[in-house]
Amino acid sequence: MSHQTRDRLLLAIAIILAGIYLFPLYWMYITTIKSGSEMFATPPTFWPTDPQWQIFGNVWQSRNMGRYVWNSLVIACGAVSVITVLGVGCAYVLARYRNIWVDIGLFLILMLQVLPASLMVTPIFVGFSQIGLLNYPRLAVILAIAAKSMPFFVVLVRATFMSVPQELEEAALVDGNSRVGAFFNIVLPLARNGILVSAILIFMQAFGEFVYSKSMIQAVELQPASVGLNSFMGPNTNEWNNIMAYAAIYVTPILAIFVLLQRRIVSGLTSGALK
Amino acid sequence: MTAQIELTNVNKYYGAYHALKDIELSIRKGSFTALVGPSGCGKSTLLRSLAGLESISSGTLKIASEVMNAVPPRKRDVAMVFQSYALYPHMTVEENLTYSLRIKGVAKAERKKAANEVAAVTGLTHLLGRYPRELSGGQRQRVAMSRAIIRHPKAFLFDEPLSNLDAALRVHMRKEIRALHDRLGATSVYVTHDQVEAMTMADHVVIMRDGVIEQQGSPLQLYDRPANKFVAGFIGSPAMNFLPAVGGQDGRSIILDLGIKQTIALDRAVQPGRPLIVGLRPEHIELAEAGEGVLSAPVALVESTGATCFLTMQTTPELSVVFNGRSEARAGDRVGLNFASASIHLFDADTERRLPD
Repeated sequence: MSHQTRDRLLLAIAIILAGIYLFPLYWMYITTIKSGSEMFATPPTFWPTDPQWQIFGNVWQSRNMGRYVWNSLVIACGAVSVITVLGVGCAYVLARYRNIWVDIGLFLILMLQVLPASLMVTPIFVGFSQIGLLNYPRLAVILAIAAKSMPFFVVLVRATFMSVPQELEEAALVDGNSRVGAFFNIVLPLARNGILVSAILIFMQAFGEFVYSKSMIQAVELQPASVGLNSFMGPNTNEWNNIMAYAAIYVTPILAIFVLLQRRIVSGLTSGALK
Repeated sequence: MTAQIELTNVNKYYGAYHALKDIELSIRKGSFTALVGPSGCGKSTLLRSLAGLESISSGTLKIASEVMNAVPPRKRDVAMVFQSYALYPHMTVEENLTYSLRIKGVAKAERKKAANEVAAVTGLTHLLGRYPRELSGGQRQRVAMSRAIIRHPKAFLFDEPLSNLDAALRVHMRKEIRALHDRLGATSVYVTHDQVEAMTMADHVVIMRDGVIEQQGSPLQLYDRPANKFVAGFIGSPAMNFLPAVGGQDGRSIILDLGIKQTIALDRAVQPGRPLIVGLRPEHIELAEAGEGVLSAPVALVESTGATCFLTMQTTPELSVVFNGRSEARAGDRVGLNFASASIHLFDADTERRLPD
């Protein structure tokens, strides 16, 4: 087989796989703008004959989505802030010091990541309710998400810090800076890309978080969009176009961020954003 | 002359590992001192201790007569040039140069003036706006040097600054660094594993091995009177020949063992029967006609660079000879070898220390 045919074959396979993977997304978007009868037509149509654009506005209004999305934003931003502030320091220490305790710490951090949220939610719920944190349910969810996602962030950012040569810091020390000054002046600017990318990934995770929010936030007016979407669905639901419109409104911003920053995210993950 | 840097009885441990052992060193103000030795000998650790990047475990470290044992790097007023240059990649050349001044709180106009002055000296004027990644190796090296110069520090510390350059540029930068040192009248400490660099640049050479200073002195002192076999073998290229021998019965000769035993007259007394190591520099051996000279041996290999000729003799251990010019000798020929009795170095076979002349 020549190189050219092989390349074409591989490309064809890649396109087919991508198509299969992206089909649900496509289906979500076109179901949104289908009318009620078209939605259940057999055979299904792959392009709506009569696009219902007004559905977005209607769903936004009727489901009070503004409030849900705002809550999602608050939770996501809160979790990202907590994780960034605490995680950057943690990752730096783990990157710069090497001894048995650091290795144990790193192992524990990786262990934490293995535990699923649905397993952790019961002990967290009990603990939080004991100390009265459930009276501030959004804060409780922020803390729970921070605990859950911190290991992922620390591992990523630690790799970024390790790619910043230690000699640069030493040069700054000899040049007259303090340890703290060298960190903020030299190390942090050089690790900025890696930290930003990791923070965006955390944001996207937190924005879509469901398990903790569903369990800990009882008040409807404090629930995020993921819980709102869930409460939309019941055993006899048949308004799939509305649900899909809700989902489309919810995921499109995240998709947009990802597409816009995709290059930086990929390079930030692989290269540590330096050199 | 006053000492700019003084180390007394300095020790450094990494856990159980003894990295620096009883270091005694006094570095004269305005001198160029080279710390040289094989990798892992402690020379970099010593330099980093001077900078304050490593703390010493015991002893006293003084810079400009002040005890610096526990003083952090930023308060020591020394500048360091790193092997990797350690230029700040997110700053332009000008920002790299003036970083230390910015921390000190020097006004912007003054910083700019200082950068321009230093750049004029080191030939960086047209590069001030560039980023380190846009510079060649030699230019980066210059920026690293300039960053040190701009501070007028109490001492310059160089950590193998030339090892990342190609051979031609290295020779050029060697001269440039030395010229800069002379012009600034600075005190420099220079770490290298390359004895040629140490010999050509420094006026005081410190040879280290396994955390111990084996010998220190002027380059020619080390070359002429190495204190032990290690120093003798380290200084000089190609390396000194070491031949086993014993003291002759008359007390004024040695019996060399080159596969066959040969008696050679000496210009000094030696204990009869004492086991010795004879050191003979390749450049101190001259070729003579076969049958003449002090020794006679067959040639194993002839290598010529045009200007210089390297001969390896078919003896055990091998004996190398180097001289300027060319040789008619071919592998297998038998030639005579001649050397002055004064050029023989004698070391004790057990302690490897130099015997008194």
